[in-house]
Amino acid sequence: MAVAASARAPAQRDPLRTIVVVALWFVLGLFVLYPLACLLVRAFSDDAGFTFGPIVGALGNPTHLRALRNSIVLATLVGIFGTAAGFLFAFTVERTGMGRGLRRMIDLVILLPLISPPFTTSIGFVFSFGPRGLITHGLFGMQNAQVYGWTSTLTAEALTYFPLAFLALRPLIAAIGGDLEEAAFSLGGSRWQVFRTVTLPLTLPGIGNAFLLIFAASLADFATPLILAGNNLPVLPTDAYLQITGMFDLKGGAVLSLLLLVPAGLVFFAQRYLVERRSYVTITGKIGGRAQGAAAAAWVRWMLWAICAAVTAFILYLYALLVYTSVVVAFGANESLTLANYQVIFTEGIPAIKDTLIIALVAMPLGGLYGVTVGYLIARSRGLGRHMLEIVSMINYALPGTIVGIAYLIAFNDTPFALTGTATIIIACYIFRYSPTGIRTTVALLQQVDRSIEEASFSLGAGTLRTFYGVTLPLIMPAFFAGLGTVFIRAMTAISATIFLVSINWTLITVRILENMTEVALGPAAAFSVFVIVVVLLVTSLLNVALRRMTAPSLRVARLGTAS
Amino acid sequence: MPLGDKPAAGRARANAGKLTRRTFVTSALVAPFVAGKARAAGGLNAYSIWPENYARPMMEAFEKASGIAVKFVRFSSGEALARVLAEKGNPQVDVLFGGPVETFTAGQSKGVFEAYKSPSWSELPDRFKDKDGLWTAIADDPLVFMTNSSFLKQHNLQPPASWEDLLDPAYKDMLQMADARTSGTAVTRIFSVLQVNNRNEDAAFAYMKKLRKNVQSYTKSGGGGTVPVGLGQAGGGIFFIVDALFTRQKGYDVQISFPKEGIGSAAECIALIKGAKNADSGKKLIDWTTSPAMQSLLAPNKINFIPAHPKVPTDPSLAEVLKGAKIIEIDDTWAGANRQRIIERWVAEVLNAG
Repeated sequence: MAVAASARAPAQRDPLRTIVVVALWFVLGLFVLYPLACLLVRAFSDDAGFTFGPIVGALGNPTHLRALRNSIVLATLVGIFGTAAGFLFAFTVERTGMGRGLRRMIDLVILLPLISPPFTTSIGFVFSFGPRGLITHGLFGMQNAQVYGWTSTLTAEALTYFPLAFLALRPLIAAIGGDLEEAAFSLGGSRWQVFRTVTLPLTLPGIGNAFLLIFAASLADFATPLILAGNNLPVLPTDAYLQITGMFDLKGGAVLSLLLLVPAGLVFFAQRYLVERRSYVTITGKIGGRAQGAAAAAWVRWMLWAICAAVTAFILYLYALLVYTSVVVAFGANESLTLANYQVIFTEGIPAIKDTLIIALVAMPLGGLYGVTVGYLIARSRGLGRHMLEIVSMINYALPGTIVGIAYLIAFNDTPFALTGTATIIIACYIFRYSPTGIRTTVALLQQVDRSIEEASFSLGAGTLRTFYGVTLPLIMPAFFAGLGTVFIRAMTAISATIFLVSINWTLITVRILENMTEVALGPAAAFSVFVIVVVLLVTSLLNVALRRMTAPSLRVARLGTAS
Repeated sequence: MPLGDKPAAGRARANAGKLTRRTFVTSALVAPFVAGKARAAGGLNAYSIWPENYARPMMEAFEKASGIAVKFVRFSSGEALARVLAEKGNPQVDVLFGGPVETFTAGQSKGVFEAYKSPSWSELPDRFKDKDGLWTAIADDPLVFMTNSSFLKQHNLQPPASWEDLLDPAYKDMLQMADARTSGTAVTRIFSVLQVNNRNEDAAFAYMKKLRKNVQSYTKSGGGGTVPVGLGQAGGGIFFIVDALFTRQKGYDVQISFPKEGIGSAAECIALIKGAKNADSGKKLIDWTTSPAMQSLLAPNKINFIPAHPKVPTDPSLAEVLKGAKIIEIDDTWAGANRQRIIERWVAEVLNAG
C-alpha cells in the first residue's frame, strides 16, 4: 500500500494534471455553470432586482401548471410503457432461444429510432392514423379516428425511447440467466415462480434505471408533442419554445423551462442512487453460462416472439413509409416515383448538410476526448473534487434540451461571451450535453483496470500525460469510441437545445427538417431524415471497425507488454 | 491504419496513441477556423419568412441581376421576428424578407427596422407601405377556406361560404389552422374575425371559442395543416391562398372558397434591419423586390402571391380563383398596436379552453 501511495503521489502533484484540471473547470464553468446562472438570474429578476414574481406567476398560471402536469404524466406513462417494452424485448432476445439471425435483425431495427432525427416517428403517425390514416382508415376502415392527442404522442414516444430500456436491460438479463435461475429451477420452482422471485427482483434496479432514462428523454422531448400533441396536450418544452419564438418572451420561456428543473433534478438524483446500488447484479452475472430457453414455456415464447415481431414490423413499416415519402412527388396525392426530393436536399440543402457535418465532425473528437479526460479524472481522484466534477459534468446532460438551449441563448448573446451565430456555441452545446456517455463508460472501464498498471508507468518516470496517452487511453479506447459515437449521433439528430442556437451562419439538418415539415415539404423532410440515418449508420459502423482494429489481439499483447 | 499480424506491441500502442493525438491536434487546429468561418464580404444576409421553395428562385434571380451573393435562412414569421429582436444589439442579418405585414408592424413597434423608401415606394397604394418606409410590401396574400373535396362529398357539404359554415358539427375535430403564437397566418386570421365582427372583441372571441370545438390541431406554421387537409386527415382549414394553391398544384383534391362576410389579406413585406452590416446591399434587394423586376417572376415560378406593384398584372389563373372573393382591409396600425394583447387573449381564452 505504501508503495502504491508513494507511486501515486507524484501524479497528484504533476503540474500538467493541474493545468488540465484548471482548464477543465474553466470550460465547465463557461459552458455549464455560467449559462445556468444566467438563466436563473433572468428568471428571478426584473427591473427592480431579485424577485420570485415570475416563478410565482408561472406557478399560479393554470395553463403552465397544466403543461407541467401533462409533461410529468406523459413522461411517467412513456417511462412505464417504454420500460415494459424494453424489458420484454430484452427478455425475448436473451432468454427464449431466439435464432441468431433474428436477434441480429431485432438489434438493428431497434436501433433505428435511436439514431433517427426527430419527427421520423411523428411523420409516420400522421400518415398512419387519423380519419384517413393508412392504418386506421385504410386497414381497419375507421372513419373518425384521431391522430392528435395522448394516445399517439404516448405511443410515438414509447416507440422512440424503448430501445434505451432495451440497451440498459439486455446485459442484465443476459447475465442473470445462468446459475441463479438454474438453481431456482432445480429447487423445483415453476417458470413463473423463477421469473417472479429471481429474474425480476435481480433486474429491478436496472428496470428503475431504464425507467428514469426514458422518463428523462420524454420529459425533454420537444419534437413529438409539437407534431402530435394537438390542442389538449400542452407540454412544457413545446410551450417554452412557442413562448420564446412566438411571443418574443425570452423571460417567460426561461421561467417555463425552469419548471422542468424539478422533475429533471429528481430523476438525476434517483438515477445516481440506483447506479450506485446496481453493482451486485453484475457481479452475480459473471458466474456461469446462460441457460437458453429454459426461462419460458413454449406458448409464452411464441407469444413473446409474436409481440416482438409485431413491434419490429411496425418500426420497419414506419421507416419504409419514410423512405417511400422521400421518393414520391406528394404523398397521398401524386405518388409517382421521383428523385426530386433528394435533388432538393443535395442542392438547397447543401449548406445545412455541410454545416451539420462540420459541426458533428468537430464536436465528435473534442467530445470524445473531453469524455475520457473527465472520466479519467473522476475515476482516478477522490473527495470533494471528484463529486463536484461528477455532478457538474452531468448537469447539461440531465437538463432537458430546452433549458440548455435557452440558457445558452441568454448567456452567449452578449458580451463578454458573444457567441451567438458561431459554430462554437453549437459545438459546445453538443460536447457538454452528450459526452456523459463517454464519461460514464470511461469510469466504468477504469474501475475494472488495475491501478498498478498506471503506477508502473509513473514509477518508471512517465508524467501524467505520457501515462494517460501511453497506458490509460489504449485501455479505455472503447469508452473513447462510445463517446465519439454518441456525440456524433446526437450532433446529427438532436434539436431540442440547438433549435435556439442555429443562425444565419450555421444551420442544422434537424432544424431544416422541422422547417420543411411546416412548409408542407414532407418529401424533402423525409429525404433529409433518410440521409441522416444513412450517414449515422455509416459513421458508427466505421467507428466500430476502427475500435475493433484498435483492440485487436496485437493490442492486447501491447497491454501486457506495458504492464510488465 | 492496419496493424497487420506482426506483434509489434509497442508500435501498436504508439499508433493508437498517435491516432488520438492526431485527432486531438487536428480538431484543436480546426476549431478556431470553424468558429470564425467568415461569410462573403459585401454579400447579403437575410431571414426569409417565405418558404425555401419560393425564396430560393427569387434570391437566385437577384444574385444574377445584382452580382450580390445572398445568404438566407428560412424561419416562420414569429421565429424570424423573435430572432431579429434577440439580435437587436448585434444584428446577424440585413433584411427581413417576406412574411405578413403584422409581423412587420410588430417589429416596427420594437424599433428593429431602418426606414428606407425604394424607387417603387411612391407608386404603391397606402396599404402596401409604411408611411415612413420602415417596411414595404412585395406581394399580397389573402386568406382562404380550403376544404378536402371527398370530405365535403362524404358529409354532403358545399365548400364553406360563410364563417358560420365552419361551425357546422360535421367539421367537429376536423379543422386545422395555425397557432397564433408562431404564425402570421393565424394572426391575420384572428384579425379577420375581429374585422368581420366590426372589432367587437367579445363577439369575435365568442365565435373563435365555438370554432375551436371543430379544430383538430393548431399547427406551428401557417401551411402546416395543408397536407393533412389534402390527405383527408383533416376536413378543412383557413390558410393563405399561396399555401392553398400550392397544395392543389401538388395534386391534392381540395376546394378553395371565401366567406361572404369577407376575409383578410396580408401584405407580404420586406424591411431593412436597423444596424445592418450590409445596408447598401440590403437596399438593393429592397429596390429589386418591390419593383416589377421580382414580382413579374412570381407567376412563371408558379408562386401564387398577388403582385403588390400596380404595374405587374395578376396571373390569370390566380385572378380566376379570386373572382367574387370579398377581401377586407385590416387596419395595420390598430392591429400592430393590439397584436400582443389579442394573441395573449387568444391563448388564454381559445387555445387553452379545451
